[in-house]
This record gives sequence, structure tokens and C-alpha cells, in this order.
Amino acid sequence: MTTAAAIGARARASERNWRRRLGSLPTHVVIIILLVIWLIPTIGLFVNSFRPSTAVQSSGWWTILFNPSELTLQNYSYVLSQAGMLPGFVNSLFISIPATIIPLFVAAFAAYAFSWMDFPGRNVLFVAIVGLLVVPLQTTFIPILELYASVHIDIGPIQINNLNGQFLALWLAHTGYGLPFAVYLLRNFMGGLPREVFESAAIDGASPVTAFFRLALPMSVPAIAALAIFQFLFVWNDLLVALIYIGAANPQNAPLTIVVANLVNSLGSGWWYLAAAAFIAMALPLIVFFSLQRYFVRGIVGGSVKG
Amino acid sequence: MGREGLRGPRTLAFVVSIALLVAACSSGTSSPSPSGSTAAATPTPAPLPTPNPSAIAAATAYAQSLGHIGGSVSVLATWGGSEQAQFLAMVKPFEDATGVTVNYTGTRDLPAVLTTGIASGQLPDVAGIPGPAQMIQYANAGKLQDLSTMLDFNAYKAQTPPGLVTLGTVNGKLAGVFLDVSAKGEIWYDPKVVGDLSSSAPKTWTDFQNLITQDKSKAKAPWCLSVESGAASGWPATDVVESFVLHSQGPDYYNNWWAGKVKWTDPGIKQAWQDFGQMVAASYGGANRILTANFANAGDPLFTTPPGCLFLHQASFITGLGQFASEQRLTDYNFFPFPSINSQYASSVEIAGDLFGAFHNTPQSAALMKYLVSAQAQTLFVAGGEFLSANKGVANYPNSMNQRLGSIAANSASSVFDASDQMPTAMQSEFYKGLLSYIQTPSNLDSILQHLDSIQASAYSAQ
Repeated sequence: MTTAAAIGARARASERNWRRRLGSLPTHVVIIILLVIWLIPTIGLFVNSFRPSTAVQSSGWWTILFNPSELTLQNYSYVLSQAGMLPGFVNSLFISIPATIIPLFVAAFAAYAFSWMDFPGRNVLFVAIVGLLVVPLQTTFIPILELYASVHIDIGPIQINNLNGQFLALWLAHTGYGLPFAVYLLRNFMGGLPREVFESAAIDGASPVTAFFRLALPMSVPAIAALAIFQFLFVWNDLLVALIYIGAANPQNAPLTIVVANLVNSLGSGWWYLAAAAFIAMALPLIVFFSLQRYFVRGIVGGSVKG
Repeated sequence: MGREGLRGPRTLAFVVSIALLVAACSSGTSSPSPSGSTAAATPTPAPLPTPNPSAIAAATAYAQSLGHIGGSVSVLATWGGSEQAQFLAMVKPFEDATGVTVNYTGTRDLPAVLTTGIASGQLPDVAGIPGPAQMIQYANAGKLQDLSTMLDFNAYKAQTPPGLVTLGTVNGKLAGVFLDVSAKGEIWYDPKVVGDLSSSAPKTWTDFQNLITQDKSKAKAPWCLSVESGAASGWPATDVVESFVLHSQGPDYYNNWWAGKVKWTDPGIKQAWQDFGQMVAASYGGANRILTANFANAGDPLFTTPPGCLFLHQASFITGLGQFASEQRLTDYNFFPFPSINSQYASSVEIAGDLFGAFHNTPQSAALMKYLVSAQAQTLFVAGGEFLSANKGVANYPNSMNQRLGSIAANSASSVFDASDQMPTAMQSEFYKGLLSYIQTPSNLDSILQHLDSIQASAYSAQ
């Protein structure tokens, strides 16, 4: 009796389940089709990175299905054997990590001030910062190059006569380029934090600094992590800014992007190594992205819906 | 829900990234391809030919004569990959002998870096210059140093074709030197298809037409042609038109033409376009392939079975590109110079090359420029097999084909420089575009040439 009822209940439940799945089938099919379309170029690039250069030049990546034995690691071994690859990787880390942390800190302070502190001109300043979002960074190259050239620092062991070619030049430049968006995103997130928390903290005698470090900052971790991904990927993938500020002045400081771009000859031969180089360069950002991914989704949604 | 739902993709991502890293790291030690597979037969990137020790010794001896200097010099140029390796191999003896560190940066965004550099004053000591038009512009802005005070001018003048010295001179000052040249307008063929022509190359255009008629059945079409090259698409076609102009009208007419003193609607220019049009009509794959295939792969059908085409018109650097790079010189491909159309101009050759200038006159940059143009350093430079030297003193090329090409480029009695490269930028890009639309619709020739005339009227005065 009881077992029969249980079986019946299970059967009904599985039928409901089955119907529900059937109902969502079109959605899944559409999502899978979109995913495949979205991923095809990347898959093609990935496959090509394992094909010999002669094959890459003469046939499409899908031909690997009929001739899987041509897969080879020679592109990777060529790229990794090129001078400057490892220093480039280290330089990219040297550039990307401070150029991510500095703007995040500055932006967090600014966002807190813009959301919870009253000072004259607050809205005008905020609008000005948001307005900077539309300034193309290319227009800043020449004035900033001139500015960097006039920098003279002479403090004990630190002697800098020209900021161009130094890591510091890129840290500052990327801080400037990243700040408008960072302040904008963080202000919206921090502005959405419950007012009561800050009011009760103030009643308990917390100064704005305490409130920032003990309340605002921990509560904003999702948004900060999301921003960290954005900023890190931007800096890691950047070629132009690095080329302009480090460029010819100090090639020892050149990041991976410059080294990778140089795999191609002036007339364009050698492009078939770029797929392998791209996947080597991509490995670290992929790790960063996926390890911070759960913050990524929450951070973007955060600040958009209040309540 | 969030944690559970996300664990899957995260784990997957880590597996993927770790697999990538492992693949990247292990490739150095493991054998590059599974044994017994077809992939084992594919060539690995050919190692650069090593220059012979006596060439290195000669370059070192020359560098030692410059004395020990120390310090560093920054160099910016478009060379990447194997070209960069050859440049660094050339300057190695210089660095060892003088103690000067050469900081080389290669970028194909050279114009962008130099434009911002000129405006802000942040320039490398020594740099490649995109072309003669830019060199004149930088020199007139007072940015380029007078090289005749930095290097041994008399030696440079004696060892370099006079045309190149003139081309590098702006207002009586030597603003640019050529560290490498390429000979343009060679006709490439596969000796296995049309036979070895090295001793029986057609001397005149008529002979050449007869040869084409005779061998017509050996391939699907007489010519190979393709002109895609990103934003500069069309330039390979300009080279063909230039060859026709040079060999039918001569160097003076040619020089007046790029200088804007001969109209595009002039019969001599129009005839060259029509000759080019005949080549287009006789090309493998028709307009579609011509416009969409990359110039580097233009000659690939030469080597297919059955052959797609018999001949390819391209400069000396094609030997490092496309299918040429993996074929054997002399057995799989060879060349003969562009046949003469008007016997008066039979010895004329079109050349191109990479200009170099100095933005700062320091002891290090002066020593480097002196070294770079010397026959000793240039011999090292061409040893890699990719470059030809503008220096007549370079005797040792790594192979007989480069030897022949090098002597065509450096020793021709009358050489002219690539015309489109010397036109103002606006004129040059319209020249490219005009040819692309001519390939598409040959019947529009008159309106295309009239349009070029109207551009010519304004482009030169704006310069």
C-alpha cells in the first residue's frame, strides 16, 4: 500500500519535473545556440593555436576534424622560446597589479565621500567625473607625455628625471583612465547601502574614516571585486597606452602585449603564432576572472536595484 | 543557490586554465608532434642562417674602431619576429665592442608612436621612418638630425646608390638612410612548370607575351594577383602600374608622375593602367580572388597541382611570405627582372626600403648610425636571408638568389623609388582605392583617372 502510494507520488513528481523541463526546453535550445555562436571564434582560435603554421595558412580550423593527427605544440614552443616572453609576463604583472589596486582605493574613498559626506559642490564634482567617461584616452597622450617628461624627483635613492619609460608612468596613467568609471560604479553601489547603518554608526561616535573602513568598505566588496576584474583586464590587455608611455624609452619594461605584437613581421608574416601567444597571455586573466566571477555578477547588479 | 550553481563553471575554468598552463609549459620539453603522424613532416619555423664567423669578426673589428663609449641608445622600428632577431644579431657586435646598450622596440604602430612623440618631444634616439613623405615632414619640423655630421658621409655616399642618397636628403641635409632595400617588380615563376628561365628569360614584353601564349595550357591562368593588405589594400597593384609606367615611359616621366607633375589622365599613365587591366583579366580566380586574397598568399597557386597560374609580379620580399616561405628557392621558384617595354629604359629598376633617421645626436646614436650603414654591419644584416642591403660593399649574401636580388637593388644604373610611397598620403590612398575599384569595374577607368586628377590638384599643395 504505502510503497505503491510512494511510487505513484514519485511518478507524478517526475512527470511534473519532466513537464517543467519540456517547458524550458526552447529557452535552453536558444541559449545553447547563442553560446555556440558566441564561442565559435574562440574555439577556432584555440584549435588554430595547436595546428602547424602551414596548415593554418592553407585551410580552416574545422579541417582538424578530418585530420586530428596534425595537432602539435610547436606554436607554443616557438612562442615560449622567444626572447622577452617571460620578462614580458612579469612586467605585465608589475604593471597590472598596482594599476588595479591604486584606482580601486582612490575610487572607494571618492565614492564614499560622494555618497555619504556632505560638502559644497558635491554634485557638480560628481557630474564632472562622470563627464570624463566620454573623453577618449587617446586625446591625453601628448599632454601627459609632456607632463611626464618634466617630472624631476630626487629623494635619496629615488632619482627620476623623466617618468616616461617607468612603471610609475603606467600606474598613474591607468589610474587616471580607470577612475571615472570606478568612481561612478562604486558611488552607485555605496549610495545603495542602507542609510540606517551609517546613522547608527555616527550616533555611536564613529568618524567618517571609521565608518568607511569598518562599514562601507566591507559591504562594497562585491562591487570592488567586479571593478577589479574590469580594471585588471583592461590594463592586462592594453597595448596602446603601454606603447606610448613605455614604448621606445625603456623596452625592458615592455609588457606582454608589446612582446606578443612583435611576433609579427613588418609585412605581416608570423601572424599564425598569435593564436598560441594569445592563449598564453589569456591564461592569467581567465584565472582572475573565474575566481572573482561570483562577485562579478553580484557587483554589476548591485547598485541597480535598491530596496 | 548561488554557490552551488557557480561551482561547476568555476571548476571547469580552473581545469581549462591549468590545462592551458600545462600545455604551455610542457611544450618546451615534449616532442612537438606525435611521431609517425603527418604533422611530423610539417616544417618547424626555419632557424635563421647563422652568419659566418668572419663576418662577425669583421663587424666587431669595425665596431671596435668606434672606441668604447658606454651608455645606451634607444631604437624604434617596425621590425618584429624574425626581422627583429636579425636586427639584434646585427647590433650584437656593436654592443659588445662599444659597451653601448641598444634598446630596441619593434611596433607596427610606428606612425602613431612617432606622431605623439613629435608632438610631445618624447622621441627615441634612432627610429625607422614610415616613408619619404613623413621624413620630409619631420625634417622640416626640425626634428631629424643631419646624419651627414653623424656618420662617415663620404663613405656612405660612395657605397650607396645615388638615388637613395638624394631621396634621404632634405634641404641639403641627410635626414634618412636606407638600412635595407627591396627590389620591386620581379616576375616569379615555378621552374617545374615553365622550365628554368634563368638563362632564357624574356628580354622584352613582346617575348614575354609570346612565352605566356606558348605556356598557357600549363596552368589555369597566366597570372597570379592579389592585393588585400588591410588598410593598405591595393598597394601590390600600384607596384604593377609603376612597373609599366617606368618601363614604358622611363625614370624622368616616372619621377614627374609621383611628384604630381604628370596628370593621371595622361596617355602614358592611362596606358599603364590598361596594361595592368590585361593582367587583371588574365588572373587566376578573377576580381573576386584578386580583391579578397592577402598579397602574401598571391603566389600560392604557382605551387598547386595543377598550377593555378604561371607568373607573379611581386617585390623581392615575397620569398619570405606565404607559400614561398616553405618552398625551395631555385628548384621550386625563381624570378627574372621585369621585361623591357621600351629598350631605352631596360636598365631601370624600382626599389623600396626602410628609412632610418636620428632624432637625437648623442655619441651613442652617432656611433650606432655609423655602424649600421657600414658594409660590415650590413653583411651581418643580410646573412639572415630576409633583407637586402643598399650598400654596394655587401658581397656575401647567404644564397645566390639573394645575391642576384641584392645586386639588382644596389647596383642598378638607374633606380627609382616606389612612386606611391613618395606621393602625399591623400594621393597615395586614393591611388590604392582607384585601383581597387578598377579591378572591380574596369570600364570605369576614365572616371577613376579623372577623380585622381582632382585629388592631385589639392593633395600636393596641402603637403
